[in-house]
Amino acid sequence: MIALLVNHPMFGLLITLIGYQVALELNQRTRTLLTQPVLVATLIVVGLLLLMDVDFQTYYASVDLIWLFLGPATVALAVPLYTHLRRIRDYFWPLIMALLIGGLTTVLLTLAFAWLLGAGPELLASLAPKSVTSPIAILLAEDLGGSPALAAVFVMITGVAGAVMAPWLLQKAGIHLPAARGFTLGLNAHAAGTALALEEGEETGAFAALAMSLTGAVTAILLPLVYRLGAT
Amino acid sequence: MWGLLILVLFQFAGTLIAALGINLPGPVIGMLLLLAVLLLMRRVPEPLQVTSGQLLKYLPLMLIPPAVGIMSQWEVITSSFVAISVALLGSLAISIPLTAWVLQHLATRGAESK
Repeated sequence: MIALLVNHPMFGLLITLIGYQVALELNQRTRTLLTQPVLVATLIVVGLLLLMDVDFQTYYASVDLIWLFLGPATVALAVPLYTHLRRIRDYFWPLIMALLIGGLTTVLLTLAFAWLLGAGPELLASLAPKSVTSPIAILLAEDLGGSPALAAVFVMITGVAGAVMAPWLLQKAGIHLPAARGFTLGLNAHAAGTALALEEGEETGAFAALAMSLTGAVTAILLPLVYRLGAT
Repeated sequence: MWGLLILVLFQFAGTLIAALGINLPGPVIGMLLLLAVLLLMRRVPEPLQVTSGQLLKYLPLMLIPPAVGIMSQWEVITSSFVAISVALLGSLAISIPLTAWVLQHLATRGAESK
């Protein structure tokens, strides 16, 4: 029975959809940041695969229908980026400076901490894109010689942890300007941070969305350059 | 289907440019090209707006298959657990207040000088 299920062309799609639906339900019921749907869904799918003794390659080949659309979806990120970009006029130079300083600091600190604690080159390349939105992070990690899977999971953990830590850190630092709160959440905790920022208000949410889009685009351009400079 | 065709065409254009020696993933170049075109047009064409909205709604689902790849990476996670945790959490603890402080400091100083 299990063999019939596993060999069916829709097997991967089926368990991915089940995992995602269960994760969404759980997220809506618990209403906490810790039940990030993609992270929970990933763990459910991994559990199901282990239970049915299916390896990753078999699963991945059966869900190409899903991940093949990641390319066009990444291109589509240009639309929200364009829409949010008009907000940049409100505080042009402060936003550019915060983007460059914040974006660079978080990447360099991540690499420095991991390197000091003995991480190898593959792990470093998977950690480097952790503050970028997942679809771009997956592509960048692969390009830098890291693991797309690790990068995807690190991005999600960063999002959840950032959204949990940010309110306390922002309060301690005395940050009250909605643009600064939103931009920081989007830059450091991308999707999860943007969701949290939207709860604070429309302006905070708009700047979080702007930061998430901008960080994705700017890191995608600069990270390979910085990384190659550092490697040589 | 105009919207999807545009997105796929830009992805192909990005992949072509990447093959010419620009060290960026093809879809990322496609995204930057599309952004440049939108900035020139100063509006988002209706079919593109609709398709990208629908496609991005499914983005979380598309991220699950690549993430499931961690099942073959358990060893890296368990053997480097401390390095990973410190790197991810430590960088956030410093960069969150720093980013926010830079922005708020520059923004309020700019407002005062006006």
